[in-house]
Amino acid sequence: MSLLISAATIGFFLALMVLGVYITFRLFDFCDLTTDGSFALGAAVAAVLLTADIHPLWATLAGAAAGCAAGMLTGLLHTRIGVHGLLAGILVMTALYSVNLRIMGKSNVPLLSTPTLITLAEEFAAHRLGAPENVMVLGWAVALRDVAALVLGAGVVVAVLLLAFVFFRTDLGTAMRATGDNPVMVRALGADTRNMLLAGVAIANGLVALSGALLAQYQGFADVQMGLGMLVWGLASVIIGEALVRTRRLGLVLVGVVMGSILFRLLVAIALRWGMEPNDLKLITAVFVLVALCLPGLLERLTRRRGAADHA
Amino acid sequence: MLKATGLTKTFNAGSPNEVRALDGVTLGFDDGAFVVVVGTNGSGKSTLLGALAGEFALDGGRIDLDGTDITGWPVYRRARWIGRVFQNPFAGTAPGMTIAENLTLAARRDRRFGLARALSRRRRDLFVQKVRSLNMGLEGRLDHEIGSLSGGQRQALTLLMATWVKPRLLLLDEHTAALDPKTAAVVIRLTREIVDRDRLTTLMVTHSMQQAANLGDRLIMMHRGRIIHDIRSEEKRRLRAEDLLERFEDVRRIEALDASAADLLRSRYV
Repeated sequence: MSLLISAATIGFFLALMVLGVYITFRLFDFCDLTTDGSFALGAAVAAVLLTADIHPLWATLAGAAAGCAAGMLTGLLHTRIGVHGLLAGILVMTALYSVNLRIMGKSNVPLLSTPTLITLAEEFAAHRLGAPENVMVLGWAVALRDVAALVLGAGVVVAVLLLAFVFFRTDLGTAMRATGDNPVMVRALGADTRNMLLAGVAIANGLVALSGALLAQYQGFADVQMGLGMLVWGLASVIIGEALVRTRRLGLVLVGVVMGSILFRLLVAIALRWGMEPNDLKLITAVFVLVALCLPGLLERLTRRRGAADHA
Repeated sequence: MLKATGLTKTFNAGSPNEVRALDGVTLGFDDGAFVVVVGTNGSGKSTLLGALAGEFALDGGRIDLDGTDITGWPVYRRARWIGRVFQNPFAGTAPGMTIAENLTLAARRDRRFGLARALSRRRRDLFVQKVRSLNMGLEGRLDHEIGSLSGGQRQALTLLMATWVKPRLLLLDEHTAALDPKTAAVVIRLTREIVDRDRLTTLMVTHSMQQAANLGDRLIMMHRGRIIHDIRSEEKRRLRAEDLLERFEDVRRIEALDASAADLLRSRYV
């Protein structure tokens, strides 16, 4: 049970990152490699501020803001200087590796002795529930800390989802979605698509960094390596989420993306429990994304060829 | 009022593929004018339209719209004043979004995109009403993705979107060329209705001599980046498709003469 709860909690925290990947990859058709760097950036900034006794809320938000700035940099490189989108992301991601080391001063910052959003949530829960050691969840005794973290993760995700849902249905949000769909039309209707992309990539990386900041607090440390492979992880979750809801309706897709994140994390947790080599995880994730992205096209070609053969 | 002065544009300058697409085009027209532009392939008619829309930087010349110099304005800034329908019927709408969402973007072309709710009930009612005026039965499908519609339906919607906020200038770039004749006729009828009703200042590029003869109150024929005929009012009204073909034939004859004359000179002197 505690395995499931911890997997679901991490799934919630990572769902913010997945949402960011969904925004860049699906809404803007922009494969943003900044993700790997800004995830660790959010964690690094939050961790350093936490160890400097800044309130966890501000530390977390500062991490998210740093991610926005990183995303904006990628967006500027791409839209204003004309660097290829993939390359712009790679450049910023690579640069961020050094920046993150500079921010933290070392490759790893432990957060075990400082108050974090998780410990605050735990204290709050203990205060409300009269400080039990364990809470019964569906008949299982679960540590209060785990439940508090899960509820915190779910709460943040629901709040962000609601905000995203409202935002993407405003004039500006609708124009942003249209930018990924048909930029020529959006320009002809009076919006600067460069600024749309810039804002989109900034928002997305803010979410990614927020996700990193929260995960660092949950796992008790920030690590310079923790962003490695995040984009591919996010893509896998987006694909699963889309397969779950099978629609393009905004609200459902947003919820689906969160479910995809949790489900993917659960699958990975279970596979690891069954003895999958953890070192193979990234290889398997990458192969999964490759197959999921290419399979529909391959199948279509196959059926078409078969159809042609039938005709002949 | 539109005033274009001495527009020049050369593509691939300095290379063997150099094309003088616009060679000093000067053109002015009044509010409410409906100008049809015809020309041979590569005559610069689409380039002229692109120049007015702001697709590329001109090599020379300036464009004034209602007394404002818009020469340096990017596409999205001109879009506040200029409505556009493209040749490709899929270019003017976002396929993955619903009809209503597409319309909502068009309904506020003249303003900045803000944080107001995109689809209020009042807007929806207006959408239903305006879409019904197309007579295509689309008013019941506002929440369908535009990608599921036919090219003709999408082109009609694009026309509606381009003119939703009354533009100071409407640019139509062979907007029926990719449609079948029946659908093209429907879109042309809509074009005429909308332009007449709102007295829109319109510039329409077309390949169809029939459309060129029947529509508009002024006709411009382009060749090699220049305006070679400018036919107005009474003369335009009398103009028939056959007359236009004749004029094209003249152009071709002069062209052939030029080529043979050049050959003659070359064989004599080189």
